[in-house]
Amino acid sequence: MEPLSMETPRVGASQVLLHPDRRVGADMARWRSSGGGVALARATQNPAAVLAEVKQADLRGLGGSGFPAWRKWEFVAAEAPKPDKYLIVNGNEDEPGTFKDRVLLEETPHQVIEGAVVTALAIGVNRVVFYTNPDLTRSLAAMKAAIEQWQASGLLEQASTALGRPMELQLLPGSGHYIGGEETASMEWVEGRFPFPRGKPPYPAQAGVHGCPTLINNVETIANVPHIVAQGAAWFRALGIGVGTGTKLYSLSGDVLHPGVYELPMGTPLRELIYTHGGGLLSGKPLKAVFTGGPSCALLTPVDLDVAMDFDSLRARGANLGTGAMIVISEGTGIVKRVAEYERFFAHSSCGQCNSCKIGTANMSRLLDRIDTGCGTTADLTTLKNLCTMLPGTGRCHLINGAVQLLDSAFHHFPDEFKQALR
Amino acid sequence: MSNGIPLAEALARYRADTDLAPPPALTDIDALLHAYHPDHLRDSVTKLAVGANAGDNCQRELAELLQAEAFIDEADLAGAPVTDIDVLVIGGGGAGCAAALAAAENGARVLLATKLRLGDSNTVMAEGGIQAAIEPDDSIQRHIQDTLRGGHHLGDPALVAALAGDGPEVLHWLINQGMQLDQTPSGDLHTRRAGGMSTPRLVHCRDYTGLEMMRVLREAVIQHRSIEVWEQSPAVELLSNEVGQKCVGAVLTSLLDGQLRIVRTRSVILATGGLGRLHLNGFPTSNHLGATGDGLVLAYRIGARLCELDSFQYHPTGLLHPSHLAGKLVTEGVRAAGALLVNGLGQRFIDELQPRDVVCAAILRECSEGRGVRVDDQHSGVWLDTPRLERTQPGILEQQFTSLMTRTHVAGIDPRREPLLVHPTLHYQNGGAVIGVNGATTVPGLYAVGEVAGGIHGRNRLMGNALLEIISFGRRAGVAATVDRDRGPKKVTLEHVNHMRRAMTLAGLPMTQRAPQVLPAYAAGGIWNR
Repeated sequence: MEPLSMETPRVGASQVLLHPDRRVGADMARWRSSGGGVALARATQNPAAVLAEVKQADLRGLGGSGFPAWRKWEFVAAEAPKPDKYLIVNGNEDEPGTFKDRVLLEETPHQVIEGAVVTALAIGVNRVVFYTNPDLTRSLAAMKAAIEQWQASGLLEQASTALGRPMELQLLPGSGHYIGGEETASMEWVEGRFPFPRGKPPYPAQAGVHGCPTLINNVETIANVPHIVAQGAAWFRALGIGVGTGTKLYSLSGDVLHPGVYELPMGTPLRELIYTHGGGLLSGKPLKAVFTGGPSCALLTPVDLDVAMDFDSLRARGANLGTGAMIVISEGTGIVKRVAEYERFFAHSSCGQCNSCKIGTANMSRLLDRIDTGCGTTADLTTLKNLCTMLPGTGRCHLINGAVQLLDSAFHHFPDEFKQALR
Repeated sequence: MSNGIPLAEALARYRADTDLAPPPALTDIDALLHAYHPDHLRDSVTKLAVGANAGDNCQRELAELLQAEAFIDEADLAGAPVTDIDVLVIGGGGAGCAAALAAAENGARVLLATKLRLGDSNTVMAEGGIQAAIEPDDSIQRHIQDTLRGGHHLGDPALVAALAGDGPEVLHWLINQGMQLDQTPSGDLHTRRAGGMSTPRLVHCRDYTGLEMMRVLREAVIQHRSIEVWEQSPAVELLSNEVGQKCVGAVLTSLLDGQLRIVRTRSVILATGGLGRLHLNGFPTSNHLGATGDGLVLAYRIGARLCELDSFQYHPTGLLHPSHLAGKLVTEGVRAAGALLVNGLGQRFIDELQPRDVVCAAILRECSEGRGVRVDDQHSGVWLDTPRLERTQPGILEQQFTSLMTRTHVAGIDPRREPLLVHPTLHYQNGGAVIGVNGATTVPGLYAVGEVAGGIHGRNRLMGNALLEIISFGRRAGVAATVDRDRGPKKVTLEHVNHMRRAMTLAGLPMTQRAPQVLPAYAAGGIWNR
């Protein structure tokens, strides 16, 4: 279903972040010869210009929210250090079907670090944490090597001078829990506790790690920053199609001929991703559905093939771009089984601090398993539908909402499949 | 068109009481095999394009099945009931029963699923006997050497050593299970020497050794409390973990109601037997109805490496006449006891105790060069000289070859008076899934034992090694499958099917054929018309 293996995913068409020239691993000389360090030089000269440029570029949070990154930046920039400011570069990436950050960390660690340092300069952060999925050993090794080179080469010192105080880079393997990728949960882990999501407010920008103002951005978001600074907001906006800006890393998996990571203009239609780049569906079967953004989003169906895949267009259709994961399902693949598997994943991933989520996900998973194994009754289906209306919004974080949205969407698009599987 | 000497003319010319000249010396075995053995027929072999054996030679009809679309889609599994069990054994022949018993004796809960009924297998057709180095002048080493030489030194020495080493212990176990074996007047086990053996090593129960073995195994399996048996439940697909690289169960269907059932396990033991019913190269077969190569198809699709896919054993002496018995085996024990092979001209043409592939090629040579006995336009064969055997050893046919006598009696033939017309018949798949000494395939969680496994017999199997193999490796796999326990499957998927589909699409292969075949097309219209 999803490439959970630790093999490096295949990288398809790529323009900026995963351009072949940039995929140099932890090789600082090659990174510099491909244009690395230009953005850092600009930022050290004029840190204030960075935020304006990023705002102009309309850089979005590419870890799933689509929330404008610059707005979060502004919040953090406005806060005074207490006594520190934190930037957490979130590479926890653990959702089924998402495998883009690991490629960035493994193959372009310097790009990620430069982005983080430039961001830190722009908003006055002195502690940068690279928060990474502990299972991605190759990504961790590349980042470790790259950070050591930054510390040894004087680049970091240059940044510290511009910042006016020492800047620290820390590589922190996460807990290995899916929930650890939630932004407030990541702060708990940085503080040394189990990654339980926190309630909001206070927002991380006001009181995050150890009460300090904290910015949390996804690896892909951060990796875009050097290019915006070096080449300008206009260039970045022009990369996208329609209302989209920049590029997006789409993690394509499922029943397609060529699964892999594709860096395409933000707003590329689904049809182009699946048929032009992904080589079409296995055995030439018709498309049945796409789980976008990993399972915590609604389903897309063949009528959505020509929708532009950017945050706003998909939201207008009640779906969500999420992380850019596209799990493609062809005719012949069972929706009930897939949904049951994902709900099992959610039940397993729930941290358990909110009762509704702990019991709700477990119940949904149990009922779906019953239906999937031929033991389900009409009453089970009704219970599931009731849960879908009762549960959303009852948890501290979005896990329960995602779990419900997926199931709700599957009920909406494929009601008959559930009914047929009943006893 | 078949040339040769017409049946009536050959029968008239036949004499049981003349002295026959010894056969001409065999000068070049390889040339004989290359010229006449069906494995070397033109157009018989193709190269596999996808899968673990991509680039390897494979028999053409088998290749079409290995590179075929799956029987089921994931959507078909919605609502399929799930059974959780420690070990799933697929196949109810000797190997499956031995594996199930060994696993159950080691404390596992076992489900044995079989396509037809428990015991419907080629095991029951094994007539000759079981090899084991038990004679005073024999040794394990000689057994190993004979087996390797018989397989043209292409067998895996480690597997052969395990096989031969297990021989005496296997006999001991079988006797404890209650199996009857022929004895000498002094009470020792009676042994015979057969093709490819350097010394008598074949222990037997008349000429129905396999049937007797199956009788005791079947009783033991039925009586064991930890073994559940599902009959008429062929496997149509294996199940893999989320990355399609470990076997975590299987999908079974039912020949009665067609419903799919999911079985989740820690390990699956394939004991599905061979593929005679595919009638490779148009040959008749000695195999039972269910021998359609399903195990190879399932194992290959989940990524297991196979070996010697272009090497099959054609048993030299399948009955040719009367036609409704075509393909039925006349045990090699008859030749071991001294029966000669005689062509239509009344001449011997081969040393009858040569390995099976050599004898088989020699018979095909006689037929194609016009010295065979012609039955009709398509078919000719050679004589198996049973009257001469009866003349030199009176009563031997009655005493030692009960099953042959019964079968021919029903057909209105008396082998004591007229010779049997025989022709090679598709008998055994020499290759199969690559295994280690515990029967483990290259896919974690998947074991293969018996005919579906390969690597032991090289490119030719000696008589009596199959019955030894099924017990020896069946028990080894049964034990290993229980020792090797992780926490059980988290997720069962058909991801490996998608891997195969992806590879096939990339290779431009058609997806029209479906596999496994489950039943031959001529059996009740095949599984597809149900």
